[in-house]
Amino acid sequence: MKSREEEYREIFMAEALEYYDAMSRHISELEKDPGDEKALHELFRLMHNLKANARAMGFNAIGEVAHRMETIFGLIRSKERTFSGSMVPVLFDGIDTIGSLIRGLDQEDEITTDPEQLLENLDLLVQGEEPILEGEDKNADEDATRKLELSDLVYIQIKKLDHLLNLVGELIIDRDRILTLSQEIGNPALQAAASHLFRIADDLQYSVMDARLVNVGSLFNKFPRVVRDVAVAEKKEVELTINGQDIQIDRNILQIITDALLHLVRNAIGHGLETPEERQRAGKPERGSLTLSAQTERDDVLIQVIDDGKGIDVEQVRRKAVERGLVSAEASRTLDTNAVRAFLFEPGFSMAKEVTDISGRGVGLDVVKLAIDSLGGQLRVDSILGQGTTFTLVLPTSIAVKGALLFELEERSYAIPLMHTDSVVSLQPKQLHVVGGILMARLLGENIPVVDLRKLLHNGDSPLAPALKAELVGRQDIIIVNYNNRKLGLIVDRFLRQQDIVIKPMSKPLDMIDLFGGVTLLGSGQVCLVIDVPALTRLFLARRP
Amino acid sequence: MAESEPTSEKKAVKQDKLIQLIVFRLGDEEYGIRIEQVKEVTVTPEIARMPKTPSFVKGIANLRGDIIAIIDLEERFKLRPANESLPSLSYTLAIEAKDYTIGIVVREVPQPLSVPISIIEKTPEFIQDINIQDKYIEGIAKVDGRIIIVLDMPKLLSPTEIMQLQPK
Repeated sequence: MKSREEEYREIFMAEALEYYDAMSRHISELEKDPGDEKALHELFRLMHNLKANARAMGFNAIGEVAHRMETIFGLIRSKERTFSGSMVPVLFDGIDTIGSLIRGLDQEDEITTDPEQLLENLDLLVQGEEPILEGEDKNADEDATRKLELSDLVYIQIKKLDHLLNLVGELIIDRDRILTLSQEIGNPALQAAASHLFRIADDLQYSVMDARLVNVGSLFNKFPRVVRDVAVAEKKEVELTINGQDIQIDRNILQIITDALLHLVRNAIGHGLETPEERQRAGKPERGSLTLSAQTERDDVLIQVIDDGKGIDVEQVRRKAVERGLVSAEASRTLDTNAVRAFLFEPGFSMAKEVTDISGRGVGLDVVKLAIDSLGGQLRVDSILGQGTTFTLVLPTSIAVKGALLFELEERSYAIPLMHTDSVVSLQPKQLHVVGGILMARLLGENIPVVDLRKLLHNGDSPLAPALKAELVGRQDIIIVNYNNRKLGLIVDRFLRQQDIVIKPMSKPLDMIDLFGGVTLLGSGQVCLVIDVPALTRLFLARRP
Repeated sequence: MAESEPTSEKKAVKQDKLIQLIVFRLGDEEYGIRIEQVKEVTVTPEIARMPKTPSFVKGIANLRGDIIAIIDLEERFKLRPANESLPSLSYTLAIEAKDYTIGIVVREVPQPLSVPISIIEKTPEFIQDINIQDKYIEGIAKVDGRIIIVLDMPKLLSPTEIMQLQPK
């Protein structure tokens, strides 16, 4: 494995060489037509970017040359100088020097080009004086030995990587199938080949998944600016701390949570953190603290947005939930703090008293919740009144493979992601009770509603008939799923096994049915539907008797 | 051969442009789809029934790694007595709709057929289903006494139409 710095340097080099190629092209265009404003503008822009990148990486020689070149192109652009005479060879030389400086970065022991003479000449040009030109011989010599080089890095469209990952998914499915078949057939040579295929396919899968990983920092690093802008608009003072930029995660997952994270950060500044005066009165430092952090926990990536603001007033949420008719006043009193906080994720539930530009437009945390759900992740909120709030996003590292529980219902296999599975139990009918038409199981001191999945999936959208205990015969296999702090037991025909599955998204037009998060192919070649627990929970709430 | 082929082709173009149709039977009528809209024809693979879908959606199937929806147009358009079901061996036409592939089950092996484009007559206005906004019947072709209804599949298979579902 390469070190992080080495990787950054390679990325810088690849980008810089690309700039260099573009600069060479544009300066030739400019030589042909000194009035070509587009080429001039591009040169200015490329120099500016290169300067910024080189300085950020600590490559000062490149930064210095680019800085002076940028100044000169700026002068040409503002018509204070013209691209003619002795300036032309100096600028060409400048771009060549940049090229060799960039290439020199990965050849530490070789003597790199010394840009001193060039810098002097560029300074002279800036001051409007004649540069000191050397003999032409040297240049001609250099041109003859010039090498054309290709970059060590390739840019690749994420679409191509998506395709690659899909293919690997297929391969894994076929691999499992071949492994199953080879065990059935029992031929030793076939078994050996199958287990070899197993290992190679595994390696391939992890390599492709690895190629898609990016640093969380690539998203986090966009936040200092966002935080500044939001803080100014909200008249808050915010100290942003960023941790764990090096944690790696699938690029598409990062893409999907971008808006969610933006929303949480805006919320934290808009609603979480108090104004400097309020903070002073509460005995807190004037500057509010906001932390974005990433860490790995087993196979998951945890991303947290932590503020030290006023925290969430559970009683206020409770009142609001009753006002909105989400729960009866009576029932609301028995709910614990976690259950109450879960209301924050209900569609349209906003705690904002006034609408500001930044947040509180009725677009609530449900948007965040939906984004996380679509990834099969979890969203948690912890808060201490007066001390602050922490939102935790639990995300899979990779979209491709997920642990799932396989079960059978009406002779078909279904899968439920482990992320949403709490436990599995087998209960006798006498351990289940009917409360208000709903089956209830008491497990570890908790009352959990239980529903026959078969009934939930069929018979249209009308409310379910009240449950009858008499319908339960023999042992009931129940999967307890957990979504948004709500537990629900699903009666299935039979548990099958736990397995890592590759989830393929549901193809159009069936993706309109949100009850299924996708499909997977089993080793037997059978198509297996993957249940989307959030949607299933919603369906239960809509159809409960 | 090599020399005569282009000339004969040119002649055909001059006379009339030929189009290739894949012809299949639904109910009592023959229907045709332009061949470029058909991705492949195959024996219907194992179909997994999908809960929460209308009954004419037979389910989903694995077609060379693509998971596609399989629908029964006879049932969708009530072209078959309700008590009659599909034979155990049927064929599936994988159709390329605008941005997805969908499978259509048919009873008999679909046949290719070349017809000159000029014989496709425009349909009388009133035949078009008024409930469906896009005109999915491209026209009617008369070939040797047969009548083939030429369908414009992408129009017929818009997700809301075919699934009778509201978009999310």
